[in-house]
Amino acid sequence: MELSFPSELGYERVARDAVAAFARRLGFDQERIEDLKTALGEACINAIEHGNGRAPGLRVDISCVCEDGRLMVEILDQGLNRYQQRNVVASIDTKLSGLAPLRGMGLMMIAQLVDEAGFTESQDGRNHFRLALYRNQKTPVAQS
Amino acid sequence: MTNSSSDTEPNERMIELRLPSRLGYEKVAMDTAASLAKRMGFDPERVDALRTAVSEAVTNAIEHGNGRDSTMKVLVMLTARPDELVVSVADQGLTPLDQDRTVMTPRIEDSFQKQDKGGWGIWLIRELMDEVEFTTAPTGGNQIRMVIHLE
Repeated sequence: MELSFPSELGYERVARDAVAAFARRLGFDQERIEDLKTALGEACINAIEHGNGRAPGLRVDISCVCEDGRLMVEILDQGLNRYQQRNVVASIDTKLSGLAPLRGMGLMMIAQLVDEAGFTESQDGRNHFRLALYRNQKTPVAQS
Repeated sequence: MTNSSSDTEPNERMIELRLPSRLGYEKVAMDTAASLAKRMGFDPERVDALRTAVSEAVTNAIEHGNGRDSTMKVLVMLTARPDELVVSVADQGLTPLDQDRTVMTPRIEDSFQKQDKGGWGIWLIRELMDEVEFTTAPTGGNQIRMVIHLE
């Protein structure tokens, strides 16, 4: 499944509902779907606010595939601002104590909610952020 | 996916959804359209009507237009305007739509006589949406364009 929507705050809610319906169709548990929705919402807001720098007229693209019980959701912005990998990531305690900027907590939360999360290498000038959710072993998951 | 924003007017926003041509995925289109419609301020009753119409249109595309070939895609385009939502559903046209079927009004008496109780989808879409037209998609497939007005 592929989805493309305007890079404007608020449209991430439509993306959340679309991807949740896709995951439901594949047989994922509702609890895991809620985690995925929260993580996806954060990732989309990052794409709109940072990757696309809130610039008008840009798009956010999402693709979803399911292989071997692993649902992969890729979020692409148009790379107006490229994600910079930091060598040392401040802990949440360091951030909360004011010794490091509060930014980046969204990525920390995403990592707690899904089974895989992170930016992937790309040569097309866009930021590619990938989320993956593994199937609950008790729940049959159809191939997409 | 392509950057569609260049094809849209300044006061409209477009969402594109490309789905596998497999029964069940019409629910993804229904939920996406309903989510956008709620965001636009449509009443729950109109949102339900939209869900039903989108379901029928996508199911037709999967079953008839794409002939249940799961390698094909169904393209759903949702265009939000200040006073209306336009939904286009396009298939890859394995089976061209018989234009006579787009204007027929089925009769319940005939359905009782037939084993196949289908054939009500297009009629239902016309009943639920404010505007409906059947065209050929740029890719050559069948395309239905449905409009629902904000009151």
